[in-house]
Order: sequence, then structure tokens, then C-alpha cells
Amino acid sequence: MLSRAERARRAGEGALRVIAMAAIATLLWRAIRSPVATGVDVARGDLRRALVRWTLAPATEMRVVLDAAPDPGTRDWLRALARAGGSVRWSSSRPIGAAAVVAEPAVEPNAVTRVRLASASGEAVSLADDAGAIDTLARGGARELELGTVVGAVRASGATFTATSYARDSVVLRPVLVLGAAGWESKFTIAALEERGWRVASRVQVAPNIAVTQGALGAIDTARYAAVIALDSTAVSLSNEIARYARAGGGVILGGSASRSGAFAGIAPGRVAARVAGVAGAVTSAAPRTGLGAFPVSSPGAGAVVLESRDGVPMIAAQRLDAGRVMQVGYDETWRWRMAGGDESAAAHRAWWSRLVAAVAYAPLVPREPGLTSIDETPLASLVDALGPSTPMEARPAARTDNARITWMLFILSAASLLAEWTSRRLRGAR
Amino acid sequence: MSVNERTRLPIPNSRFPTSGEFVFATAQYESGDWDSAPLVPANLIDSLARYTSLPVAPTGAIVALASDDLFRFPLVFLTGHLPVRFTDAERANVRRFADRGGMLFVDDHNHDIDGAFHKTAVEELTRAVGPLSQLPNTHPIYSAFFKFPDGPPNTSHELNGWGDNLVHAHLLAAMRGDRIAVLYSNKDYSSEWGYHPDNKRFLAIDNTKFGVNIIVYALTR
Repeated sequence: MLSRAERARRAGEGALRVIAMAAIATLLWRAIRSPVATGVDVARGDLRRALVRWTLAPATEMRVVLDAAPDPGTRDWLRALARAGGSVRWSSSRPIGAAAVVAEPAVEPNAVTRVRLASASGEAVSLADDAGAIDTLARGGARELELGTVVGAVRASGATFTATSYARDSVVLRPVLVLGAAGWESKFTIAALEERGWRVASRVQVAPNIAVTQGALGAIDTARYAAVIALDSTAVSLSNEIARYARAGGGVILGGSASRSGAFAGIAPGRVAARVAGVAGAVTSAAPRTGLGAFPVSSPGAGAVVLESRDGVPMIAAQRLDAGRVMQVGYDETWRWRMAGGDESAAAHRAWWSRLVAAVAYAPLVPREPGLTSIDETPLASLVDALGPSTPMEARPAARTDNARITWMLFILSAASLLAEWTSRRLRGAR
Repeated sequence: MSVNERTRLPIPNSRFPTSGEFVFATAQYESGDWDSAPLVPANLIDSLARYTSLPVAPTGAIVALASDDLFRFPLVFLTGHLPVRFTDAERANVRRFADRGGMLFVDDHNHDIDGAFHKTAVEELTRAVGPLSQLPNTHPIYSAFFKFPDGPPNTSHELNGWGDNLVHAHLLAAMRGDRIAVLYSNKDYSSEWGYHPDNKRFLAIDNTKFGVNIIVYALTR
């Protein structure tokens, strides 16, 4: 027969066991239950702990106060919380600069990477790749650079952002086909492109049935040529093929003389005006093309873009034609610029022709090995895209339930109950 | 009229090439006798018009080697018998002309490798554009229009043993990349082509055809 004290002791032990089991059950339930929104939570500075917390137990409204554009991982995490049903708002303790950087392969044979940078914040921006600093813009602004070698990612860093990009693709450049009559314009156009590194195939007409050819000539299609340059009327016999090529994605440049032919009227960006002479002696000036004779582009079509004008008269215009591009170049004696221009005229002539071809060339992209680095070319724009615009707010202290503390308390309660119950049993000699 | 007086003669504007028109230009230089082959331009112009459809100016032009006008004529013919000494301005212009893609065709009117023209012209050209080397007989210039599978055609002066009594198997050239910047001949084409175009009818084979090749090469490469 148990004494009264012994019965009370055993009842106490049972109660402790029940408390321990209840605490353990509560812990298990908290571990497997769906997170429950728990009011408004504000985080600032390092967001990692807040993100972990919100993932385990989302607040009704999650607010972040940023002092710089978040890295892509943090931004994606916030976006995921928002998409999971939570309300995520952001504001900044200081204005975050809008900036963009992009690195892409130039459509030119010298394999350079073209980096374009723009920053609207007015703060200093430094441009660097994995090998070191490249350039600095003291007051932001825009800059375009052609870099022969880029190591890894290109980063544009300011006080409130780091934009990252890298050339994800390389381009496939096929030969350029040049069609023209034997003459200085044909010769020096071919020479300029070859000296710039383009592979050139050409058909240069010398007599009615005689042409000097170079390279492998075949059907005009995008599998064979990056661009076709029709310098004059000798290309008229191929006008249908050239139009088909342009519509299929090819790039076509119509020289001043070629544009005069009605055969290209269907694809030319505009009509052709009467020839104008160049300004005498101007090929040695700072605007050397004003010294060149040309057939101006008249009445540019609705979809045409005027790329160069002289005294308001269009000299170069371009337009899209289905999948391809067609450019109408009024100049028909650019060779004079190269031969009779200033000291840098030959190099400038080369670069100019190469740029024209690059602007229209069919150059399919080949992806490089992915995963070099995470890309964040427009940090602020991406943040707005992920979370919406900034929402100014008063920073309020967290009105949250501390889930971690409750978890700890439940654990301690269960452990203490079990220990007390075990100690009581051992002291009375039970097992 | 002395050479210096001739140098100062202006080039009539009508001789400047209009768009797309080829003008055969002869180089006028301070030293020597630059105008030793006055019938060659007309003869080659006649051949070019005869065999091709290229727009060609009916008369040639004379351009001072030291003048900026040189750069209006990307192919220039230079010949003579006498020693050649370029002035500094001429040398600088020839160098710039070659670097920009022009082509200078130089013919030794003596056909004599021990002659004064050959020695001095080669020396001057080497100083201006670099050393001359043998042009392979498979070079595209020999197939630019007419086919010359054996290289440069021989001249009657070579075959008759005049001058240096040699038949020159190759032309010489200074290159810029894979293009000819200076083409040098010891074969005396200046004499071979120095006759009135009407007299072609007396030839069984037109001996100016290689001249057409030189011009077509210059205009297409």
C-alpha cells in the first residue's frame, strides 16, 4: 500500500512526463506545420538572418531598408518570398544609383568585346574585370569601350551598386560578298575589309562576261555570307537573290551607284537623289566624308533610320527587311578619303567600312560555356522588376513573435521535465 | 623645257578622275627623264578600252610625284633612262602612297641591270617602300585578265639581246600585305608598248595585253 506522499510523488512524475511529451509534440508540430504569417517585420543591413527567419515564419509584411542594390541572390530570395504570398516592400536609406553594364562580342572579325556602361546617378563608377581595373568614370555617364581581352566578368561598381556582365556569346562571322565593277571603289572597299580582318569573296566585273573573282562564290544565302555589298549596277543581275537573302536575315549594303538602279527599289531604305559633289579639300578635314561625292538618300521609308546626314540631307539610311537589314550608303568614292585624307585616313576608312558591315551582318551567336558568374547587368532595374518600386516607410521596430525563443523554451521545458521525472524515479529506487 | 619647269605644270582639272573613271597617270619626278615613253599611256588606254568595258579617260594624266595630286591616282606609271634621285618630298609621298594602297608600276626603259636607272631606281624604291623581291610567276597579276602562265611576257628587246642581253624571268615587287605596292620591271615595256595604238593592227599578237593585266589587277586587288 503506497503512502500518500508516495502517490503524490508518482502523480507528479506522471505530470512531468505528460509535460515533457506535450513539449516534444509541440516542437514536432512546429517543425512540420506550414509557416504562419506573424505581423510586420523590418530588416536592414545584412538581410541574411531576416531572410532565413522569413522563410521559416513569414511575416505578414516584410520590409527591407537597403543602403545599396542587393546582390542577385538576395534579390531572388526576396522575390521568392513575395511570390510565395508574402508582402515584400523595400526602401533605401540613400538613393540607389541606376546603372547598367553589358559586355558583348562585337560583330567584327578582330574578336573584341564591346562593353557599354551607363550610370545616371552622378556618382563615380569604376569598371573592372577579373584581371583588374579597366576605366573610371568620375561622374558616371555613358561610355563604350572595345576591349581586346576581357578576363571573366566585367563589373561596374559605384557606392550603391555593382553591375556585372560578361560576354556570354561569341559570333560566327562568315565572309562578306562584294559585288562591283573594276574600279577604285571596289578595290579599296575590298582592301579595307580584308585589312580589318574580314574574309572577303568578290566578283569584280571587268568586261560584260568577264569578272575577276576572289574566294568561294556560291548561292547568296546566310549559310555562306555575313553580308553582301552591292557597290554599283553590276549587282543588278543578282537583285532577286540579294532581296531574298536580306529577307532571310542577311545584311545588305547598297552603294550609291547600286541604289540608282530600280532593281533594288524594293529593298532600299529610300530613293536616290541627284549626285552631289564633295566639298573640295574636305577629305583632310575633321569631317572627311563631306569631301566625298554621293547620291543622297531621298524620301526615306517609314521604317528607315537615317544614320548619317550632310547639311540635313541623308547620306546613309538603314531599315529592317523581314529578318534582315538593308543599308543604303550614298557615297560612291570613299577611296578618295583613304588615299587623299589625313594621316589616319586609311585606318579610319577601314574602321568605317567594317562598322557598316557589322551593323547589318548576319552573325549568329554561339553561347559560350554558361555559369562563369552570376549576371546582374541592371541592379536597380532588376530590383524594381522583382519587388516593384521603392515604398518609402517609417522604420518601425519589429513587432514579431520570437519563434526561435519559443522553440528554445519548449526544448528546455521538455528536457527539464524529463530530467526531473527521471531523477524522482531514481531517488525512490525505481528504474 | 627643263624638268623643273615641267614639274610646275598644273594638271588640267579635266584629267582628274571623275567617279568610276580610270585615268592612266604617269609620274613626273625631279630627276631623270620621266617622259621618256610618251606613247605608252595612249597605247594602254586603247587596249583597256578595246578589251574591257571599264570607263576609261581618253587621255592620261601627268602627276608630280611630290604633289598631293598623286593620291588621286592609285595606279601610277613611272619610267625613264636616267638616274633617279627622289627628293625628300617625293620619297615621303611614294611611301605614303604605297602604305595607303596605291600601286606604282616602274619600268626600266634601259633594259639594263647595270644601267643607271635600274641601280638608282631600285635604291630609291628600297629607301621609300622597302626591298624589292621576285614576284612569283604564279601571282594573280598574271591571270587578272589575260593568262600568262609563264609569268611576264618577254619583250622583243630582251629576245634581241639588247640592253643587258638577259631575258628576265621575273618582275620585282614590294608588297603591302598580299598586295603589290610597287611593281618593278627590267623588261623595258616602255619600249615594247611605245608606239601609236593604230599600229596594233600590224602585230600578230597584241603585246600590250600584259599592260591590261597590270591595270585590271590594280583596279581589282
